[in-house]
Amino acid sequence: MRLGMLRADPALSRFDPLPRILSFDDFSRGHCGWSQLVGNYEDSLDVMLPGFAQHSSAMLSTLGHWDAGSHGGMDSSYALKIATKAKPGAQNVAIKRHTFRKRGPIRFEIFFTFKPEATELKLSETDVRSIGFLFDLQCGDRDGDGERVMPHLRFLNALDGKHLQKWQYKRETTVFTAIGREDKTVSHYHLAPEGWLDLPDGEQRLCYNEIPTKVNWSYMRFDFDLASMKATGLQCNDRNFDVSGFESIRIPAMKNLWCMLNFCLFAETDVAKRAFLYVDSICISGDF
Amino acid sequence: MLPENITAVITRNECWSGDAASEPYEAGWAHEAVFFIRALKPPVGAAPKGWVEISPDGMHWVREGTEFAMPSEQDGVAVARLNAFGNWLRVATHFADGAECTVLVTLHLKA
Repeated sequence: MRLGMLRADPALSRFDPLPRILSFDDFSRGHCGWSQLVGNYEDSLDVMLPGFAQHSSAMLSTLGHWDAGSHGGMDSSYALKIATKAKPGAQNVAIKRHTFRKRGPIRFEIFFTFKPEATELKLSETDVRSIGFLFDLQCGDRDGDGERVMPHLRFLNALDGKHLQKWQYKRETTVFTAIGREDKTVSHYHLAPEGWLDLPDGEQRLCYNEIPTKVNWSYMRFDFDLASMKATGLQCNDRNFDVSGFESIRIPAMKNLWCMLNFCLFAETDVAKRAFLYVDSICISGDF
Repeated sequence: MLPENITAVITRNECWSGDAASEPYEAGWAHEAVFFIRALKPPVGAAPKGWVEISPDGMHWVREGTEFAMPSEQDGVAVARLNAFGNWLRVATHFADGAECTVLVTLHLKA
């Protein structure tokens, strides 16, 4: 009956949620809790690491284009838009912050698309460097494994103008930097360019329509088990990827992040032109 | 249903000099917009005039008409309010040679 109800619901029918839906964001109801990822600091914003300092707020977009007007989302006028600055390598990140009730399976499903800003009348298919997502997780305060675990996945679309189109993951972050003078705050930029590894057989050609202002929505699903802190599945459109070799960034648990269940989405540009990640809708579900 | 209302931080701790502007922000869903421009550090040199710009595409910008004086002291706050605009919004200004201001620009939108 549950499956029947899900499939009869036009909003949820396009998702395959686990039994409990934690959040369902379609961005026709606002930002739905997706906010700016702010870096750590003490006393002065000047000590924030540059990677974080460049972040700004995500916006609600109708995907308006100079040549065709508003494109709109899949099922409403709006999508969440994460825009970089117009500088090669610039990134922007949006975050949603939860905590978990049970260390079991969680599922992250999104419908997304990406484009460069249409500043040129050219295909521009190599202007977006990457789009991706990450989870930021930490065990409960009574759990014995004492780890902060950060699965990262990105679709590397292009690098230095080369059209690469492949999924990558990351298992190492940067060294921790002390922030401020009181020895209370540290920071690390886990989205630094170094350390991305190719997911085996992770090449995928996504739909990139013929001019910079035509977009098509893609489906992506990532499954992760909070009990074992292991990835259990990645699907994008018609492809299921083998994640048996996938590993997350793992660092010792931090002193105040217990049961953290954060989700991030990011975009990165390869050229001096803004990159836009648009997300039509997101369903986060769990088995608990 | 309650109307939408958000605070977006669009420029944070950036040192503005010469020609300066906030990043484009899409706000077509909102009926009201207020920009706050706060000086996070003591400004250097004369505080210039700032203005609101609107755009048909997020790339080409024209002055909307609203103007304000950039803050002239640390923690001074300039304000720009508008309630008739299309989709893209930003604030812009121009500093004379040697002048600068480190700013926090927030945009407050209400449907």
